[in-house]
Amino acid sequence: MDLVARCQAGDVEAFETLYRQHSARIYTLACRMAGSAEDGEDLLQEIFLQAYRKVGSFKGQSALGTWLYRLALNHCLDYVRSRQAKMNKLTDTIDAETSFEPAARRETPIARLDLERAMERLPEGCREAFVLHDVEGFDHKEVAELLGIAEGTSKSQVFKARLKLRAYLTKR
Amino acid sequence: MHPNETILNDYADDLLDPVERAGVDQHLAGCAACRQTVEDLREILGAASELELREPPVRAWSRLERAIKMEPRLESGARGFPLDGARGRQPGGSGGARLKGSRSMWIAGLAAAAVLVLATAVGVRYLPANRTDATPAAASAPGGTDAASAAGAAAQSGAAQSIETELRQAEAHYENAIKGLEAIASSEQSELDPRTAATLQKNLAVIDQAISESRAAVRSQPASEPAQQSLIDGFKTKIGLLQDTVALINEMRKGNEAGAARIASGLKQKGT
Repeated sequence: MDLVARCQAGDVEAFETLYRQHSARIYTLACRMAGSAEDGEDLLQEIFLQAYRKVGSFKGQSALGTWLYRLALNHCLDYVRSRQAKMNKLTDTIDAETSFEPAARRETPIARLDLERAMERLPEGCREAFVLHDVEGFDHKEVAELLGIAEGTSKSQVFKARLKLRAYLTKR
Repeated sequence: MHPNETILNDYADDLLDPVERAGVDQHLAGCAACRQTVEDLREILGAASELELREPPVRAWSRLERAIKMEPRLESGARGFPLDGARGRQPGGSGGARLKGSRSMWIAGLAAAAVLVLATAVGVRYLPANRTDATPAAASAPGGTDAASAAGAAAQSGAAQSIETELRQAEAHYENAIKGLEAIASSEQSELDPRTAATLQKNLAVIDQAISESRAAVRSQPASEPAQQSLIDGFKTKIGLLQDTVALINEMRKGNEAGAARIASGLKQKGT
């Protein structure tokens, strides 16, 4: 029996195999979308629990990993939307503090950990757009559809995120 | 005149048509500031595309496994899982449950109960409120009337009370989750080797002290956002440590020495 069939049959060991294969990608996405490792871990838990509940409806029209990624992305987006609603923030608000002034020169290349930390500091809205566009590789049209915003807003949010990251990484 | 930020970002993304691109090239040749901006944008783009995956904490699977075992499907051994919720029961089948024996089942039950409590606590996801949003403009406007100021003060007071209520609710949820996890950890602590148990106790004492100090700070300054956040962070840290402890006990019971060693090592690192 293949992995999908075993997962659909409720085999926990098969589901653990699925988890081991995909948890890093899902956890990474969740941490970056949520902006914190703690929320990322909670999202990871919720996503895989949902996958366990829904795997019976998986029809094999795509790879299981693709199905799981889509489920994870939708769950992260739901989380982001509900948090934004709670914080009463508009996704297309352009933050006045974004600076376009020339930044001081950095002497060293951007370290991975520094970029991860700087991404966590990005405001709601532009962080998700940046993660989806610059990290996950979606184009602006796709980002706009996923986040429910205009394509132009996706662009401006990604640009805003880059400028903020530039400032954060330079000010260190 | 400098190109605007949209044009520079499109330039860095290679989205400009040849004519626009040539115009920016010409500008960049004579403008060091814009040249640096483009270099920085490209460096950020390059770094973002090369970010590595992050491994979830070891405890994440144990936590998930406990939650999965609470699912009705595993209890019934049913095949498939229709989304309409019609979960047909079928006789037989263990559903892959690993824990056997009444004592282990009791631990699994306690752990599952703690997971449920924890899910409630996690669901709270306490967020410090945006106080400025709750402040009516009239209250802060120069020359505002006394009535407007009084209304503003009343609204502020209401918002502060609401924040305090929300914090108290979050506190209660976290404390419930901690209580459930502590019950498991303390009843099964004999499973741990003395050094690990000592490290655990030491770390818990440090966290409890931090929680106690944060709680005192919140009581004396209820509106202090750093104090509120510090208290919530303390609860989260304690929950994380207790989750690691329960995960460690589970790994030891399963005979997974490598998994247990990884978690124990994490516990010790938290103590340094």
